[in-house]
Amino acid sequence: MKLLRRTNLYHSISIIIILIVSGISGYQLIRGIINKEFNEKLFADREQFLYEWHTYDNIQEVFYLNIGDRVEVEAIPAHWQLAPTLRDTVMWDDYEKKELPFRQLIFSDKLNGENYAITITKSLLPTEDMVRGMGEFVLLLTIGLILSLTFVNWQISRKLWKPFLDTLAKLSEFKIGRPSRIDFKKTNIREFDELNEIVDKMLEQSQREYTVLKEFTENASHEIQTPLAIIKTKLEILLQDPAMTKEQLEELGKINESVNRLSKLKTGLSLLTKLDNHQFQDEADIHLQKLLVTKIEDFDELLLLKGIELRVAYLADPIIRMNNELANILLNNLLSNAIKHNKPNGTLSVRLADHQLVIENTGNPLQHEPSVYFQRFKKDSTSSESSGLGLSLVKRICELYRIEVIYSEQQGVHRMELRLPK
Amino acid sequence: MNLLLIEDEPHLAESIVKYLNHEDFHCEWVDNLRLALEKIHLYSYDCLLVDINLPDGNGMKIVQQLKNTKSPSGIIIISARNSVDDKITGLDIGADDYITKPFELSELNARVRSVIRRRNFDGHKEIVFHKITILPDEHHVTVNGTPVSLTKKEYDLLVYFISNKNRVLTKSAIAEHLWGDDMDMADSFDFIYAHLKNLRKKILTAGGEDYIQTIYGVGYKFGLL
Repeated sequence: MKLLRRTNLYHSISIIIILIVSGISGYQLIRGIINKEFNEKLFADREQFLYEWHTYDNIQEVFYLNIGDRVEVEAIPAHWQLAPTLRDTVMWDDYEKKELPFRQLIFSDKLNGENYAITITKSLLPTEDMVRGMGEFVLLLTIGLILSLTFVNWQISRKLWKPFLDTLAKLSEFKIGRPSRIDFKKTNIREFDELNEIVDKMLEQSQREYTVLKEFTENASHEIQTPLAIIKTKLEILLQDPAMTKEQLEELGKINESVNRLSKLKTGLSLLTKLDNHQFQDEADIHLQKLLVTKIEDFDELLLLKGIELRVAYLADPIIRMNNELANILLNNLLSNAIKHNKPNGTLSVRLADHQLVIENTGNPLQHEPSVYFQRFKKDSTSSESSGLGLSLVKRICELYRIEVIYSEQQGVHRMELRLPK
Repeated sequence: MNLLLIEDEPHLAESIVKYLNHEDFHCEWVDNLRLALEKIHLYSYDCLLVDINLPDGNGMKIVQQLKNTKSPSGIIIISARNSVDDKITGLDIGADDYITKPFELSELNARVRSVIRRRNFDGHKEIVFHKITILPDEHHVTVNGTPVSLTKKEYDLLVYFISNKNRVLTKSAIAEHLWGDDMDMADSFDFIYAHLKNLRKKILTAGGEDYIQTIYGVGYKFGLL
């Protein structure tokens, strides 16, 4: 979730909670106040009534009470003594044509020796309306507040976090192999300036270390070449010596194998270094189908020897723009892997579609997660025949041309899928 | 046949000279560009082996120089860099072949012989060994006067063997010669064996002798036993 959305969410949730709590308590408070007022009014009416009741003879004609209020006077037995009592009731209203809430104040009083029960009835409608109005107001306020706060927050956050987002965008563009520096602008926000400064320092440091390491790899792989060539040729000269015994020749054969292995390692490493240095600039349109056909032809004999059944399906002839040498290495490594790690009398299937190349082969189940094998020098067997660089080369080449590689294995069937960029 | 090796690494040069100085080859060695240019000015060579990285300049200069003087010498470039660009440039300006360090001496030897054969327009181009005669242009092989039909790999193998006759050849060198760097598998060794078996049989059937000797743990040697 985006930071802005998250802050907005938290803000909205807290606003809703605060407004609900304050709305309910405000409602209760106002309701209580209105109720109290109302009751006081009823009692004031009673005082007014009693005054008029005792002052005027013809009481029915001179009541000053508000319209809508009703006063009932009812004779009751003399010994009944009713203390002033409030009660809420619902009655039919002729004017509104429906049942409406009313509050009544009932009390007794004596007049000219007679005992009466007096009921003052007052409509609660205006109060209810007022309370409802209050509720609606609070609700509207809530919605309005949430909307406006969200908007304001969004605007503020966007402005506030802009330097941070700028930093992020610049960082995502950054590539350690490229000799470029990020130019962070001054933000006037201390935290962000600090962040930029630290990031800048870190990048500079890692770039420096990367360069040192890169140069070392480059030099090492180059400098190894000459001694290797010397060892190799000296060995060959030694092999020609007629004085060599059978045992000595055998030892020389083993040395020769190791030297060859070292030489392959060197080739692989320097290729990886060159890839890292972006030294494969020239690109051409590669017809994958054509290349596959010739590559598979190269492996014909080997397939025959291992008794591997080959199944090919060319559903399309995608063209991909990449370096010719790298395209060759890519397909070569994939195919040779699929043959090298195949079983005798196994199968190899190659399927080329519009944006996809799938190479499947039978073999032994993997001992690790498939993705592990893309790391340098990661292999299941310790055999000298593989350098452990083949798949990492595949990975690097694919990365360079935005080809997605997916390696999976199920019950001894290895599947290498290349998703070509669209 | 006179060869000139231009290589600044003395140990490597020593081995190359030692391996090539055999039978009809005479190989000279210089370790810098200036001396090399002097030499090619004074003498003519059948084939030059030129290292690209020399202490006083780029070996390509020599190739250029030879081409400018329309020299008939064959040129093989030796480079420490396995770069397709270098290879293309080298071949474009007129080199006959390109070999990357580290290489097998037997491979270099085979390439030198092949270059000289191709360059040698007036002389006979056929390769003769004991009862075997090969016409390289036609890929035609006869043993004891009988034509023998060989597969491409068997033919390559035979030419390579004869180029390096009486030399011990490692299996890896043979594999690299037949399939290039790409085939980096032990499986290819079984393959060499299969091809060898067929080749031996075909030569014997045509009335030749068994020229192939197995050197246990190392490889093979081709020659009269």
